Amino acid sequence: MTSRKSTAVAGGGIFHWLMQDTMDGLRRRRAVLGYLFLLPTLLGIFIFTAGPVFVSFGLSMFQWNIFKPPDFVGLENFERLLEDRRVIIGLGNTVKFTILAVCSQVSIGLILALAVHRISRVWLRYYFRTAFFLPLLMSGASVAVFMGYIFHKEFGPLNYYLTLLGLPQIPWLTNSDLVMISIAIISAWRNLGFTFLIFLGGLSNLSQEVLDAADVDGAQGLRRLWSVVIPLLSPQILFATVTGVIGALQVFDEPYIMTRGGPGNASRTLVMVMYEHAFKDIEFGYGSAIAIVVFLMILVMSIVQMWLWRNRVFYQ
Amino acid sequence: MSAEKKMSRRDLLKMAAAGGTGLVMSGLPVRVIAQDMVTIKVQTAGLGDNSLQPVADIQMARNPNVNVEWVVLTGIDHEEVAAKILALVAAGESIDVGYAATEACQLFAGQGLAAPLDDRITSDPDQDFWTDFFSDVHPSLTEAMMYEGSLYEPPRDFNAANMYFNTNVLAENGFEVPGEEWTKDDFLEIARGTTKKDDSGNTEVFGYAWTNRLWGSWMPWIFVAGGNLYTEERAPGGEWVWDGYYEGDMAADGRGGGFRWREPVANSSEVVEALQLVVDLWQEGVTPDIAMGTGQTLTGFYSTGLLCMTPAGGFWAGRLGNEGMAKGDFDVQYWPNWRNQKHQFGTGGHWLSTTSTAPDEAWDFMKIEVSHDGFQSSIFFNPVIITTPSRRSYSQANAFETTGPANSDVFYGTLDDHPSTSPIPAPPWSNPMTTIFTTYTGFAMSGEMGPQQALDEMQAELESLTNREGRKYYQE
Amino acid sequence: MASNATRIPGDVSAAEHRRQVISHQLGRWIPLIILGVMSVVILAPIMWTISTSLRAGVDSFTVPPKWLPTDLAVENYAQVFEKVPFARQILNSTIITWGTVLGQLITAALAGYAFARLEFRGRDTLFWVVLATMMIPIQATVIPVFILIRNLGLFDTVWSLILPATPTAFGTFLLRQYYLTIPIELEESALIDGANQWQLFNRVYLPLVKPGLAVLAILSFNFHWNEFFRPLIFLQHENYPITIGIFQLQGYMMTGSISVVLAGVVVSLVPVIIIFLIGQRYLIEGIMRGAIKG
Repeated sequence: MTSRKSTAVAGGGIFHWLMQDTMDGLRRRRAVLGYLFLLPTLLGIFIFTAGPVFVSFGLSMFQWNIFKPPDFVGLENFERLLEDRRVIIGLGNTVKFTILAVCSQVSIGLILALAVHRISRVWLRYYFRTAFFLPLLMSGASVAVFMGYIFHKEFGPLNYYLTLLGLPQIPWLTNSDLVMISIAIISAWRNLGFTFLIFLGGLSNLSQEVLDAADVDGAQGLRRLWSVVIPLLSPQILFATVTGVIGALQVFDEPYIMTRGGPGNASRTLVMVMYEHAFKDIEFGYGSAIAIVVFLMILVMSIVQMWLWRNRVFYQ
Repeated sequence: MSAEKKMSRRDLLKMAAAGGTGLVMSGLPVRVIAQDMVTIKVQTAGLGDNSLQPVADIQMARNPNVNVEWVVLTGIDHEEVAAKILALVAAGESIDVGYAATEACQLFAGQGLAAPLDDRITSDPDQDFWTDFFSDVHPSLTEAMMYEGSLYEPPRDFNAANMYFNTNVLAENGFEVPGEEWTKDDFLEIARGTTKKDDSGNTEVFGYAWTNRLWGSWMPWIFVAGGNLYTEERAPGGEWVWDGYYEGDMAADGRGGGFRWREPVANSSEVVEALQLVVDLWQEGVTPDIAMGTGQTLTGFYSTGLLCMTPAGGFWAGRLGNEGMAKGDFDVQYWPNWRNQKHQFGTGGHWLSTTSTAPDEAWDFMKIEVSHDGFQSSIFFNPVIITTPSRRSYSQANAFETTGPANSDVFYGTLDDHPSTSPIPAPPWSNPMTTIFTTYTGFAMSGEMGPQQALDEMQAELESLTNREGRKYYQE
Repeated sequence: MASNATRIPGDVSAAEHRRQVISHQLGRWIPLIILGVMSVVILAPIMWTISTSLRAGVDSFTVPPKWLPTDLAVENYAQVFEKVPFARQILNSTIITWGTVLGQLITAALAGYAFARLEFRGRDTLFWVVLATMMIPIQATVIPVFILIRNLGLFDTVWSLILPATPTAFGTFLLRQYYLTIPIELEESALIDGANQWQLFNRVYLPLVKPGLAVLAILSFNFHWNEFFRPLIFLQHENYPITIGIFQLQGYMMTGSISVVLAGVVVSLVPVIIIFLIGQRYLIEGIMRGAIKG
């Protein structure tokens, strides 16, 4: 096909080239189809994900509130970030939340999955599976709304039962030391169903002999659980941990709704600080700089995940 | 537009054809929009889609070519609504008329989003309207809507921080609603005397509670202790309104072109004392934990008799009734005297957008809203008061007759009888300022920091904020 | 190590035997007790929410908490629809969620097929590029996307949420895995029967990956129905989805009645429960599969 040919002929030529009833023609048809099929996804990812990341890096070097022209400030936003107390505390809170939430949802999910796996009655299994899974169907927002009432210090049902046990009223959401723990408990309550199902799936894939060998009651059973079953579940544990960490690093809905980051800065998370700067004070440049910190944290976690994936051991 | 026209014609045809069913369908709103219609977009907050419909109805009846559309934005507090407006404008949407309380008036003016109204008022052929309006509105409300010499909003409503009492809780403990001249010590006596604890020391009924926000939280204590977050200065200018419309009004003397909140003074000894007072009450169990977000349930506490006193303004009068409190179950009094009895208020109204494509029609809307017709039909003031009218003649005792409180003259009296009353501090950077204020309030009220430390750090953050932002907005 | 398990009961003394019986019984009952307690702990907040949503406003904060819905104050549910445009918001949620799910199904079904079964230059590189974008959190792109949406004039429309969420690296990856499990012989016999390339995809492969499509649909439905962060930024009042509607129910200065707010929570849960009942097999399979495939 030379460029001199008229469009009509060229069109016909391309058609012919493509529809040729040969192996070459077939290969070409399949290749063109491949590109066509990929087009919407690639274009979409370029426009809405990959491209914007680069734009974010660019924006982070400007001071811009959209109403006035942007000022190029170089790395000034990042310098400000290093001294910004709210960013540093937000980072600390996010890490604290991540550790608490992920540890509890992975460990409790694992215990529940091991226990449910031993149950043979179908209806009981179904009941437990549904019960543990139900909270995952709710939005973080609605969970935050009703848990805010349940964890209310003076009039929440939770504290009522605790005071019956002789405990004092616990300021779950109004004490700086407790608030992040409470939010982690609430978040783990919701995400438990996810880790639980992952482990149940992992267990159902293990061969029965392995499980039978480990299925001894009492103390020895526990030890064997630790030395046999847990290592066998390591791919699932790794998966649950890493997806949990990536999700937890982005925590926003629950603290935003329940405490607005308070008391003080005690439950202000990094994403909340980013939201406040970008969409409350309309500081797009500084907001982008914080967004990049979130991005880098998740990037590091993902790389760790991939690295561990390469070295993971298959037991099957 | 033409598509809409077609649609409605088809609807009309359908109705005619359907005959009997037309009766049912005519209940549906069908508005035929003519080609030369002017549409103005009015942003409203808080109460839902139709809160300003009466104003729009008046305008559309007078001028059939005007069509009013609502842009409803909601938030938990004023600064959230203001942030939503900023995001909306940042997203390239236009509005013609926006709502702002004191909290955000200078914010929109400073960003150049709100237009000054001075020329529109002075060149209005209907000068009687404005003479009547300003004679009915206390000058401090007008001044609170000014920025660098110009007026940006005609005040529609205001709320001063007064003290509300649950009279049943008072009576159970042998107290009465105190008199106008009551003091901080009287307050402490009532607060402690009405607090009820169970055997294990948990509080069952609280003497005093407040919410963590800018207006009406512990801010009233700062004022009566003799402090403020920022120094209060007055910008020059504004003679056109003081000499032109408030001539002869003693209360207008010495006013300027709007406040300048320039120097943060958040850690002065007065402010520290004020914070110490509310922290002490919290530690004694007189005040519950002060939460933000879902933890706030103040109206619920109050109406169910779990709380005796709390700061609020006229906006509570009608709302407590809606919560099921009968007239006489609650009453109100001025904030108590400490070193002085300087009260505070916030005011609200609508501003005209500089990007409006129909500024004249938008301005008409704003005028109608603050006119007698507007006030008489407003759902904010009828059938019950759910925010205090800025016009004196609508804030009199008869407006509160069905709901209470008995001392309703306190509301406008805060302005008329207390010349030192002034607005809450709200510079153009009031949004981040509010975040800082509520954050450090939270630090102190959770015991994480002592009052002095919390305020020292608040002061440091306010200083760096003011250094970064302040120079852009106030002229030297 | 396994000696304990293989020992015959006759070998052990009576005491040892009793200990084993007790330990066996404990081993049976302890997990059941743990599970029982945990299921109560997990279900109790939901029960309290439902019962309080049916209680008159004045009684919502009763101490001690009541568990049975005593008042049956159904009017709370009516109020949900009066206080905020809840019906409209349910519609918004439905449009946004199904729009996104549909968009994801179409694009991922195509892209997954291309990566799994078609051969062309740069395929593997492109696959890694797509996979790599899974690491990018929404926060890293939200400001530029906000500006983009603004320039496209799509702010405060359902498209501002649907369009950016349509291309899905996760969905592409998931469906690719499903296509790969289909035996290649099927393709060969279809080609011999004279199927063209489109028919091969449309008639042979697509029906066979239906379970994969169901998994993607239900995971995506659950995620987008519950979204909060993006709607908070890209939408306003009338176009809000139900997640923000609940948040709005708390009202200006949190003056909303708790019972009404909780009624809103219950209403918002209904569609997800229905979807769950229809597609729980796929949802559960999707999550378990994620764990196996990694």
